[in-house]
Amino acid sequence: MDKKNPEGQTGLVEHVFKKGLCVTCGACVDLCPYMHYHDGRVTVMDKCQAEDGRCFKWCPRAVPPGMNTADAEQMAAKGIGPFRKIVAARACDEKKRESSQNGGMATALLTLAMETGMIQGAILTDRGDDDAPSGKMVLSKEMISAFSGSRYSASGALSALNRAVGKGVEKIGVVGLPCQMEALERRHQYYIKKQMTDQVTLKIGLFCTWALDYRKLAAYLEQEGLTGTVIKCDIPPPPAEIFRVYTTGGTFDFPLPDIRQMIQKGCSVCTDMTSLYADISLGAYEGREGWNTLIIRTETGEKLVDLAVSKGRIEIEAFPEKNMSDLDHAAQNKKNRGADASLKMTEGEVGS
Amino acid sequence: MKKIFQKNGNINLLLQGNEAIARGALEGDVSFCSGYPGNPSSEIIETLADAASHLPIYTEWSINEKVAVEAAAAASFAGLRSIVCMKQCGLNVASDFLVNLTLSGTKGGMVLVTCDDPSGISSTNEEDARVFADLADTPLLEPSTPQEALEMTKWAFDLSEKINNIVLLRSVSHLSHTRSVVRIGELPENEKKARFDTRNPFHTFPVIAKHNIRHEKLKTAETIFESSSWNPYQGPEEPELLIMACGSAWCYVLEAVEIAGLTGRIGILKLGTTWPLPKKIVRETLRKCDRILFAEEVDPFIETAIKAYAADLGEEAGGKTFMGKASGHIPSTGELNPSIFLNLFEILFGLDLINKTYREKVGEHLDGVIFPREFGFCPGCPHRGSYYAIKQALAWDNRDGFISGDIGCYTMGIWPTGFNQVKSVHAMGSGLGIASGYGKLAQFGFDQPVVTVCGDSTFYHAGLPGLINAKFNKSDILLLVLDNSATAMTGFQPHPGTGSTATGEDTEPVDLEALLRSLNIGVDVADPYETEASAQKIYALLQKKGPRVLIMKRKCALVQGKQGGFPYQMSVNHDVCLGESCGCGRYCTRIFRCPGLIWDKENMKATIDQVVCVGCGMCADICPRGAIEKTGKRN
Repeated sequence: MDKKNPEGQTGLVEHVFKKGLCVTCGACVDLCPYMHYHDGRVTVMDKCQAEDGRCFKWCPRAVPPGMNTADAEQMAAKGIGPFRKIVAARACDEKKRESSQNGGMATALLTLAMETGMIQGAILTDRGDDDAPSGKMVLSKEMISAFSGSRYSASGALSALNRAVGKGVEKIGVVGLPCQMEALERRHQYYIKKQMTDQVTLKIGLFCTWALDYRKLAAYLEQEGLTGTVIKCDIPPPPAEIFRVYTTGGTFDFPLPDIRQMIQKGCSVCTDMTSLYADISLGAYEGREGWNTLIIRTETGEKLVDLAVSKGRIEIEAFPEKNMSDLDHAAQNKKNRGADASLKMTEGEVGS
Repeated sequence: MKKIFQKNGNINLLLQGNEAIARGALEGDVSFCSGYPGNPSSEIIETLADAASHLPIYTEWSINEKVAVEAAAAASFAGLRSIVCMKQCGLNVASDFLVNLTLSGTKGGMVLVTCDDPSGISSTNEEDARVFADLADTPLLEPSTPQEALEMTKWAFDLSEKINNIVLLRSVSHLSHTRSVVRIGELPENEKKARFDTRNPFHTFPVIAKHNIRHEKLKTAETIFESSSWNPYQGPEEPELLIMACGSAWCYVLEAVEIAGLTGRIGILKLGTTWPLPKKIVRETLRKCDRILFAEEVDPFIETAIKAYAADLGEEAGGKTFMGKASGHIPSTGELNPSIFLNLFEILFGLDLINKTYREKVGEHLDGVIFPREFGFCPGCPHRGSYYAIKQALAWDNRDGFISGDIGCYTMGIWPTGFNQVKSVHAMGSGLGIASGYGKLAQFGFDQPVVTVCGDSTFYHAGLPGLINAKFNKSDILLLVLDNSATAMTGFQPHPGTGSTATGEDTEPVDLEALLRSLNIGVDVADPYETEASAQKIYALLQKKGPRVLIMKRKCALVQGKQGGFPYQMSVNHDVCLGESCGCGRYCTRIFRCPGLIWDKENMKATIDQVVCVGCGMCADICPRGAIEKTGKRN
């Protein structure tokens, strides 16, 4: 093992935290007492000298050259990556649609997965109300809908998975961002190597262009006079260029360029918009309110969606070719931007 | 009643140096005693506080050393004899008043005892407080033994009344804390009446005139010194080496000379009155020898003065070779010991006395017997919980925050026992003053959060001005008062918050919370044993601006122990404990570091040292696996 780049917390600090690349996925948190997620940030509590640590191996940003364990085919994929099916979809339950980001889709799929025993519990991100969003383990389907709605900020939600493991829940579904799906993939590879059974049986990935630094966002919103408890945030389609926040005190709009200043630095090197490592990737359907775009990538994903359709939980429609091409283009753009940023960062290091 | 307080003299008692000073004060007819605790001085006032319940004297722990001298000066102005005691750092605090007091002069005999701490064994520094004698034109006495400490203290009151000025008496750790047989004298029984004579005010004006008077008083003291018996010479009339020694160093010299068998070749001038120099005696003694070695603790005080005097003597002194701290023959830092002189005698006399120093020999014998130990908080100490919570909050905050520390047990926060969180420590109350400065650096781009910690006793001593400064200047300061309801480090002396005085009398305790609220500063209270809840509170406070105070309230573990102990019986469930692999290597013993948590080598698991553990229960909350269990104590 390279002593200068140990695959433990030291490496994590060196390659991720010092470079400001942490995307707050939470994969390294609560595996040990040293890594905490608090108020929207992942922080190092104590130094650990272990040279072989899951915190490093599962991190979607700790990728020194040649060490990425994620699947090569996915890495090489262009645009939205490999998939079995792509459809437009929405949940049939109107109530679920109301509170959720787009079509109430994640809620519908998770509920069904729990009913059928595909999962016993789900790792979801709560809204945090007056605090930072964070991950929670949900064990009853009635509780799932309480977690819908996006805040566009990082949540460290995978820490909830780490806390849940070993507590008797054998099948776990996770809803998360592309970085979190990548962390789950790295975690999965680690489990295979160690000949252990992965408890994660369903991965629902969300589309993501970037996530915000929670602390910066919270400070900004407070400074700009936001009142009430945040319910959800939204970015209306262009050319609005606004960031809309729904709170118990009303609806507030902020200029999107201001908000972009608070994007996590780690998001700038991200090459994945559509959650390449998910069973099902879920995003907005541009131009059609209340509907989702659903990229079904795996057999697991396909079975669940088919069942949901046959049970009348969701309705699907064909995804137009034009939208497909736009989405693929957007995903490829993000991939290019991320790769460029990554290259620049590496060159910067070499230069210095 | 203890024998040390008995009226009759002419008996031998085994007394500590500080007790001897206290007895000396009683024999010197002292009425008013004050001081502020601090090692190695504390036992003087403790003894005199004890004496106050048997004898017609008054004793107090004052809020700080300056106030202690001021209060004692009042007694002197009113014609009573007074003594005021402190450690070397304390004399800095008192010095502002002292340099003015010596201009106004005193009436009733007044003695200031400073107990210096060479090597800074329990101090932030090892400063030599004797410089204040020079600075304030004050006579200075330096006893070497407990017997001499008693007699000099008693004598100092007479001297003070002869020159109408305060007299300094300097002890050091090894004198204050040594015990030896002391022959005590009788206690006087004089009727005393305190009265201020309004015809004779005490002030410093006109300054030049008073300054001249002060110099005259010092000259008078010098004359008295020269005819006193405190500066004896022993040794041959024409020694090969002349040693001028004072204080404990004289004892070391005596021991080394005897061990080396040089009694007939070395002459020793023991200086007991070191400021002003008893010049006649020094002059006469200098004639005996051209090689002079100085032996004194910490700074070259008599060394510099005698060399300057030799320069004044000019040709008469002739070509002398002076050896001491300036020449490098004696270490210029750290406490002295006999082996330093033995080693020097080997070189100077070409002897082969010993090839190993005493310390090395001791080290060889103890190798493997005594294991290395670090400074550490006691089991159950609330400070461990406070620092654990602060560390957690600062890590969460993630802006490279740190602690501005202060003086007390919690100074140990600079070490692993306090998770190395404290990044600056200087003087009493300075943590707050420094923090009030950091709190104004935002305009220069300073973005690190600073927590300042201060004990309850330290807060009353010198912390309040720093906090009020922060309030006044709208500084972003977060103060954690580590309120353990005790002046713990110096031995549980009462302070304004404890509800009793030095003599054990009940007094209304200062309500710290109410005091802070009266400043309109946000105050919250947390329990250091509740580390997670405390960390949450500290984190939330770190995000706010302006002056903020969190009182970390929990009695000192030793006080809790005395008052009935702790509720829990602790144990480690070895089936749950991860052992070596926990937290990348023994989280509880490596990170939390309570001495009650130890490593079971046989089972390779953490375990409780039932002898050391007090049962505070804190570790049960920090164990990530919940392997440390707390149950009700067995009775």
